[in-house]
Amino acid sequence: MSSGYKPDILWSPHHADRYVICDTELSLYRIGPAGSSETKAGALPLSEETAATLLAINSDTPYMKCVAWYPKQEPECLLAVGQANGRVVLTSLGQSHNSKCKELVGKEFVPKHARQCNTLAWNPVDSNWLAAGLDKHRADFSVLIWDISSKFSPEAVPAEKVRLSGDVDSGLVVTKPLYELGQNDACLSLCWLPRDHQKLLLAGMHRNLAIFDLRNTSQKTFVNTKAIQGVTVDPHFQDRVASFFEGQVAIWDLRKFEKPVFTLTEQPKPLTKVAWCPTRMGLLATLTRDSNIIRLYDMQHTPMPFGDEVEPTIIERSVQPCSESIISSFAWHPSAQNRMVVVSPNRVMNDFTVFERISLAWSSTTALMWACGRHLYECTEDAGQGVAAAEKDIATKMRERAQSHYGHDTVQVWRNHVLAGGDDPQLRSLWYTLHFMKQYTENVEQKQQSNKQSLIYSGIKNIVKSSSGTTETRRCWSGSDRQTDVPWYHSEERSLALQLCGWISRGPDIDVEPFLKSLEQEGEWERAAAVALFNLDIRRAIQILNKGASAEKGDLNLNVVAMALSGYTDEKNSLWREMCSSLRLQLKKPYLCVMFAFLTSEPGAYDAVLYESRVAVRDRVAFACMFLNDAQLPRYIDKLANEMKEAGNLEGILLTGLTKDGVDLMESYVDQTGDVQTASFCMLKGSPGEVLKDPRVQCWIENYRNLLDAWRFWHKRAEFDIHRSKLDSSSKPLAQVFVSCNFCGKSISYSCSAMPHQGRGFSQYGVSGSPTKSKVTSCPGCRKPLPRCALCLMNMGTPVSSCPGTGKADEKADLTRDKKLAQFNNWFTWCHNCRHGGHAGHMLSWFRDHSECPVSACTCKCMQLDTTGNLVPSDSV
Amino acid sequence: MDLHILDHKLRVTSISKTGLQQYTHPLIKLIFLRNRTRCKFFSLTETPENYTVVLDEEGFKELQPSEHLQVEGSTWLPLNVVSNGNTSSSSQAVGVTKIAKSVIAPLAEQHVSVFMLSTYQTDFILVREKDLSVVVETLVEEFNIFREEGGESVPVHSQDACNGLQRNGREVPHATVHPVLIPENQFCVMSLDPDTLPAIATTLIDVLFYSNSPKEGASVDQDMKCIKFFSFSLIDGYVSLVMDTEAQRQFPADLLFTSSSGELWRMARIGGQPLGFDECGIVAQISQPLADSDISAYYISTFSFDHALVSHFFKSQSKHMTK
Repeated sequence: MSSGYKPDILWSPHHADRYVICDTELSLYRIGPAGSSETKAGALPLSEETAATLLAINSDTPYMKCVAWYPKQEPECLLAVGQANGRVVLTSLGQSHNSKCKELVGKEFVPKHARQCNTLAWNPVDSNWLAAGLDKHRADFSVLIWDISSKFSPEAVPAEKVRLSGDVDSGLVVTKPLYELGQNDACLSLCWLPRDHQKLLLAGMHRNLAIFDLRNTSQKTFVNTKAIQGVTVDPHFQDRVASFFEGQVAIWDLRKFEKPVFTLTEQPKPLTKVAWCPTRMGLLATLTRDSNIIRLYDMQHTPMPFGDEVEPTIIERSVQPCSESIISSFAWHPSAQNRMVVVSPNRVMNDFTVFERISLAWSSTTALMWACGRHLYECTEDAGQGVAAAEKDIATKMRERAQSHYGHDTVQVWRNHVLAGGDDPQLRSLWYTLHFMKQYTENVEQKQQSNKQSLIYSGIKNIVKSSSGTTETRRCWSGSDRQTDVPWYHSEERSLALQLCGWISRGPDIDVEPFLKSLEQEGEWERAAAVALFNLDIRRAIQILNKGASAEKGDLNLNVVAMALSGYTDEKNSLWREMCSSLRLQLKKPYLCVMFAFLTSEPGAYDAVLYESRVAVRDRVAFACMFLNDAQLPRYIDKLANEMKEAGNLEGILLTGLTKDGVDLMESYVDQTGDVQTASFCMLKGSPGEVLKDPRVQCWIENYRNLLDAWRFWHKRAEFDIHRSKLDSSSKPLAQVFVSCNFCGKSISYSCSAMPHQGRGFSQYGVSGSPTKSKVTSCPGCRKPLPRCALCLMNMGTPVSSCPGTGKADEKADLTRDKKLAQFNNWFTWCHNCRHGGHAGHMLSWFRDHSECPVSACTCKCMQLDTTGNLVPSDSV
Repeated sequence: MDLHILDHKLRVTSISKTGLQQYTHPLIKLIFLRNRTRCKFFSLTETPENYTVVLDEEGFKELQPSEHLQVEGSTWLPLNVVSNGNTSSSSQAVGVTKIAKSVIAPLAEQHVSVFMLSTYQTDFILVREKDLSVVVETLVEEFNIFREEGGESVPVHSQDACNGLQRNGREVPHATVHPVLIPENQFCVMSLDPDTLPAIATTLIDVLFYSNSPKEGASVDQDMKCIKFFSFSLIDGYVSLVMDTEAQRQFPADLLFTSSSGELWRMARIGGQPLGFDECGIVAQISQPLADSDISAYYISTFSFDHALVSHFFKSQSKHMTK
C-alpha cells in the first residue's frame, strides 16, 4: 500500500549493537564487525569494518506511522507502534516468550476518533506512560497519554467499532487514556522534558509549541511559532530544544521560551529529520528530503542568553555518508561517539562515523597540541641530547640562540655564529660576511674614504659592477720563474671583493698567507691548499697538504694528493693532464677536486671550479675575482647571486649585500626556515635606510619581538629593542604615557626634562640625589604638590627610602642590582580602574601580599585586573 | 477561546449535474494530485441538485467559467474556533453545537451571513471578506482573534479590523421558518490518511461522478426519502468524507477512519427553495435549539440548501424541535 513510505531507523536504547529499520514492517538488525565468526553468511556490509545481521522481522502492524522503543532495560525490545488510524500497538521483536513482555505485546490503545498517529514518546522516568500525538479531530484531543499497565477497559467495545476498524483482536484493547490534552488541533511532535518528567512539550497545537504539566493540565506555557514539525531536546543540555518547520530549524531555550534563541540557515528543501548527537555536546544533525548529505551544526560554545542579542557562533558542515545514494533516515548511535547508521530509500544501510573536527594549537615553544573527539594529542620535540642540532625545530634553535645572546656581539661580529651553535655553515658564512663588511667600513672610516662605505654593504655584485681599471697580468708560479699562461686580473674593487671574501686583509697587497695560516689552524687543509694553489703557489699547497697528512687525525691520502700535485706540468698533451682531468672526479673532497680542475682547465674556462657547489661561495667568488675577466665576472656573479636568492642560501649575502636583493634572498631563507631571528639581526646590521624600511624587514623584526614576548623573554626583548634602537635610531619609541598635573593639566615631566619628546622623561624623574630634589614634589608648571603615594603618604617625587617589608641585609647583598631597582621603585604607578597608586616599589611590595587596593575603603582588586601582572618572565636579566 | 481567521480566500461555486463532465479533469486533479496544485482548501459536496465546490483562489483558477458553473460573487474567509487549553471535557457535544452560542448566534444578530462547513477534523465558519470588520467587532469580546498570515498567527484587535463601527445595514425579516426535509438514509463522517487516497481512487471517482447514472429517475421518484448527499473535503492536507451508509459499503473498511463508537447521523435539509447567500440566521435557528439541548451536530452548507447532521439517537428530538 504505502509504497512511498520511506524507511526510518531506530537504535536500541540499551543494546549498542541493535537497531530497527521500520518501513512497512519492523526489522531488527545486529551490527557486528565484518568478517567475524559471529556474522553469518547473510550479513549485510555496512562499512569496511562492520556488517549487520538480520535477527527478526515483525510485520504484524500495518500502516505504521511512528515507532518508539521502550526506554527501560526490561522488557527489552518492546516497541510501541503508532498506526495510520491512531491506534498504538505494543509489539516486540526477536523475543523468546518472556513472561513480562508477553503480557504487553499485542496490547492496543485506541482513540475515540480514528486519525493518524504522528508521534509517540515514552516517559523517560515513569516508563508505563506513553504519549501519542494524533492528527486533529473536531471533538477529540490530539494528545493521549496511555498507561501501558492499565487493564483491559471495562466498557464493552461496540460491535460497530469492530466492523468499522475491520479487525477482530484478542481483546487487549485500551480505550481510556490516562490524560487527554489539546483539543481541536493536530499534535505533530512531542517529547517529555527530561528535567521534569511530568512535563510534556507538544508541537503543533495551533501553531504553538506548548509545555503542559500533567499535574495541572489546564496550565500551559506556549509560544507561537511556525517551527512545529518536530521537537527534540538536547540530551546534554536539557533546556535546549530544537524544532523545525519545512527548511528551518529553530533552537529554543526553555528558560526563555518567548522566542527562539536563534534559527539555523534555511534549507531549500523541507527537513525530514533533526537529531541531537547523544554522544557529543551541542551537535545537531539535520536531513532534508531527497538529499544525500547530512548537515551538522556544532553549537558547543553557543552562549546561552545572558546578554540578549549575542549572535551565537555555529559551525556548519555537511557529511556525505554514502557517496551517491539518497538518505532516507539516519540515527545516532546511543554510545559510540559520533557514529550513525543511515538508511537509503531502498534499505541500503551504511555505518558511518562523523569525523570530529580537529582543533589544533601551537604552543609558543615547539609543542603542538590537537584535540579530536575525546582525545588530546600532544606532539613535542624530542629533547634528548642525541638529537642533532640541525634537526631541531627552528623555534627551539631560536630560543637557545636568544638565551646565548646570539646577534648581540657587535664587536666580533663573526662570533655570532658561534653563539648560534657554530654548526650551521650558512650562518657562519653570513656572520663572517657581516664581520668583514664591518671591519672594512671601520678601516675606511679611518682613511676618511666614505664613498666606499656605502658600496661595501651593497655586496660584491655591486662592487664588481663598479669595477674599472682592471689590469691583466701573467704571474709566475711562485718559487719558480716559469711564466704561467693563466691571465690574472687585478683592480681596486677586486681587491675589495677579496677582502670581503676573507682571503686577504686590508691593504692593496694580495697576501693570502695570514688566511692560509688561519685555515691551517682550523685544520682545513684541503681548503688551504686550494687557496694556495689558486694563488699560484704549488709549493705552499704541497706543504700544506703534507702538514695536513702528518697532523693529528690527518688524512694520509693528502700525501698522495701532494705527490700528484707535484707532478704538475703545463704541457697540454701530457699523461699527467689526461689522468688528472679524468681521475679528479673520483676525489671525494671538493677542494681537492677543484685544485685539479684548475690545473687541467684551459685559461678562462674554469666552470669546473666555479660551479662546484660544494665549494664555499666565498672561495668561488674570490677565485672568480682573480681569474675571470671583466666580461665574465659580472655575469658569473649575477648568475650565482640569483641561484643563492632562489635557494635562500645565506652565503649569497656576500654577493647581494644588505640591499633589496639581500632582502629578497633573506625572504626566501625565512620562507624556508622561519628563522626571523637571524633575519632581524642581519638586516639591523645594514646601513640605516632603505633596507630597514622594507616592510618585510619590519615584519621580521616585529615577529621576532612578538616571539620573544610569547616566550616571556621580556628581558631579551628589551635587550633586542635597545640593540635595535642603537642600530636604527628611527625605531626609538616616543613616550606614550605622561603624568599630568591634577591642577594645571601639564605633563610634569615636560618642563623638567631637557628633551621632552625623547621618552623616559618622567621615568627618570625623581631620582634621588638629583639637584632639583627640592622641587620635584610639586608640579614644575604650577608649583602645586603632586599626588601622594597611597602607602607612604608622601607626595610623589619623594624618593623611596627603603622597601618596606624586605630585610636590609638582602639589599646590601646586591648593591648594583638594588640601585637599578631603586630607580624603578621611584616610578609613578597607578591602577587604571580605581586610579589609586603611588611609588612603584611600594605598590609592588603591597600587592605581593594583598589583592585589594591599599587605599582604605577601596575594594578594587587592582592586581587581578592586570592579566599579565602575575606572569613571570622565563628568562633571566 | 481563540478564533482563527485562516489564511485562505475562498470562492463558493456550484457545478450543475449536466455540466459535470466539463469539470471532471480539474476536480480529479484537485482531489488526487495534491502535489500538482497549490490549492490548500477544497471541498466538494454532491446534492441531488448540483455539486457545490468551495475552494481557494489557487484552486478556483482550475475551473473554467462556463454556463454550468455558478459562482457566488464574494470572497469568503474561513474562521475556526479553537478551545484554548480548555481541557475540561465537560461538554460532550461536538461540532456546531459548541460554537452555536458563542459565534453563530451573535453573528446572526449582526446580520452576518455565514456558510458552514463541518469536517471530520473541525468546523469552518465561512464569512464574507467584506463582513470581516463586523465579525471581528462582534466576536472580539468573546474570543482572542488571530489572523493567520504566512504560517504565523497575528493577533487581531477590533481597531485594526474595523474603522468605525459599520453594521450591516440589511434589514432582515426575522425568523423565516424554512421547511425541513429529513431523508431516511443515515450518514457517517469519516477521514482518511491522505497517503491512502490513491487506494480508494476508483471507488471515490465512481461514487462522485457515476453514482447517479444508473438510476437517474429513482432518486426523484422516491420523493426525497433517500437523498443523495456526499461530501469530500481536502483542507490543509486533511481529508474528510461524509457519505451515507450505502456509499460507505463500497469503500474498504480498514482505510477509513471513524469514531470508535461508530456513530451514525441523520440529516436535516433546510429550505424548500434555494436559500441564497444573503439570508442570515438560518444556522442560528437550527443550532440554537440543538445547543440548548446539548445535541451534537454537523452542519454543511451547500450552494442551494443547508444540511444539518445530528446523531440518530437524537433524531426524533430534533425533529420535534424544528417541527
